[in-house]
Amino acid sequence: MKYVSYLNELFRDEISKLDEFVLYGQNVSTGSCLGGLTRGLQRINGCNVFNTPNTENTLVGIGFGLMLGGTPSAFFMKQQDFLLLGIDHLRNTNNFIRQQAPSTSFTIVNITMDAGYEGIQSSLNNLPDFCAIASCEGYTISSKLEARSIIGQCFAKPGFRIISVSQRLFGTEILDFEAHISQADDFVMKYHQGADVTIACFNFSLPQGEKLCDQLSQLGVEASLYSITAAHPVIYKSIVEDAKKTGRLVIIDDSKCYTSVSNLLEIEMLRAGVSAICNIKRKMTEQSYRPLSEEFNVDVNDVVQQLNLLN
Amino acid sequence: MFNIPVHLALGHEAISEAVAAAMRSDDKLLCSHRNIHYQLSRGASLFEILEEFKLSDKGLAKGKGGSMNLTNPQGSIVYTSSILGNNLCVGVGVALSKRIKQEEGVVFVVTGDGAMEEGAFYEAIENSRNMDLPLIIVVENNNWSLASRIEDRRKSIYLDQLTSSLGARYTFLEGNNPIQYYREIVAVRDRVNLQKIPEVLEVRLNTLGGWMLQTEDFPDGKYVNYHAGLSPKVSLGNGPVLNYDESDPVYLIKDSLGECEFERLSESTRHFFSDYLTA
Repeated sequence: MKYVSYLNELFRDEISKLDEFVLYGQNVSTGSCLGGLTRGLQRINGCNVFNTPNTENTLVGIGFGLMLGGTPSAFFMKQQDFLLLGIDHLRNTNNFIRQQAPSTSFTIVNITMDAGYEGIQSSLNNLPDFCAIASCEGYTISSKLEARSIIGQCFAKPGFRIISVSQRLFGTEILDFEAHISQADDFVMKYHQGADVTIACFNFSLPQGEKLCDQLSQLGVEASLYSITAAHPVIYKSIVEDAKKTGRLVIIDDSKCYTSVSNLLEIEMLRAGVSAICNIKRKMTEQSYRPLSEEFNVDVNDVVQQLNLLN
Repeated sequence: MFNIPVHLALGHEAISEAVAAAMRSDDKLLCSHRNIHYQLSRGASLFEILEEFKLSDKGLAKGKGGSMNLTNPQGSIVYTSSILGNNLCVGVGVALSKRIKQEEGVVFVVTGDGAMEEGAFYEAIENSRNMDLPLIIVVENNNWSLASRIEDRRKSIYLDQLTSSLGARYTFLEGNNPIQYYREIVAVRDRVNLQKIPEVLEVRLNTLGGWMLQTEDFPDGKYVNYHAGLSPKVSLGNGPVLNYDESDPVYLIKDSLGECEFERLSESTRHFFSDYLTA
């Protein structure tokens, strides 16, 4: 099943369980319905759908107002970039609401425009930055397990959070690791067990991590593969324990955050005495401020060399 | 006495009293950083408010709200914000919740002539009209935003035309007569509750308590309004009337109450302050 269809199915399941739910946003019931993300959700009994005008600041505030009134809601947003216009509410209104111990949910589901060539103002890929400003929970979804875990556990939970999904993955078959998976810590998924190196994937980099894991296996190097789906709060305990055993860590982070949460894992590992760390991130150069493919590749040879894996 | 910033609302009493009296039990009120007049009008005591300003657990919000984010759910004040225009967006959400739950009542959101310059003002009217929401936006137009008068910062905004262009309604109040305001607001409230067409209620008022600051830089004196941050020295012998003309709603209410009742209430308030300050 395609990534977007699977997400849509899970959203439908969760919304069906709720009374008086409000789903709103721009184009949520017209055109492609956000590339299929909200297709069919408007036909769920009890779901109130509002196809809204382009007023992102107010739309974020509306979700918090609905919480005050005791009505659960989700604001589906075409681009993560648009969320910049609602940042006052993410921080200031959320600061008020969180003190009221809200009994209902407000979830913003945004699409990270990481498929490429969107240009400098439509390619924000910075969920952890929003979570840092808002001090709120935030999650990314890359696989079936992550989709089930995050949408099932968080989408309708009382309180506020942001769930980010990847446009690059929309048309791809959703990653399915059913044979190997286990949940390590809260919202940290372990997809493979290996004794030689630990791979920690942040943001939407699980596909790159999976590919690296396979390539290393072909070279006789067995890796533990983790995906950290929470941008905040992040719990690294199981990864740290695993990396202490393998003695080597690869961090992969395809976000565009300068001060990424993945850096915190690197610091934690150094404290734990593991210094063989390969931290792979996007390199932001002058070229990055032009329309680009946004491709994010991991070179297995670089990893092998940096961590001296074949000796 | 207070570590927190305090925003008084001298001269704003007529509109807060009229809104508070016009509200029905199912109505909600969202205020701005300047909310002390609505807190008092909606039943909070001076003691609770002063204790809140001291961040004491005897305060209206047990010392957790301070002044600019003070709420009082018992008085139906469900949200206040210190960010200009912020409460308008939240008010649309509260009104939408009423619609979804098929609850009776309207949502009042109080803003000012400064906050109505924000994009959120336009967006809130647009969204509440699109969703047919029972929203009343009260614009307290005191002609000031911080230390700038309207003419210092922008051209005129014709609110009647702006609201009309978005399909909303507009009512204008002036004169500081709380009885007249009350009657008009009850009519607005019932219309909005019935027809679900949002309405902007602009009220012209004067924030009182301005004074002449005299320093070496301003030997001839400089007019200071409360928005500039400084407040004048007052004694308990003053007040509650500040201006003996129509700019002061407290002066106007004397006629309705009668001299004796007005003086009795004034004396009781002076006593409260005297006791509170010496306690």
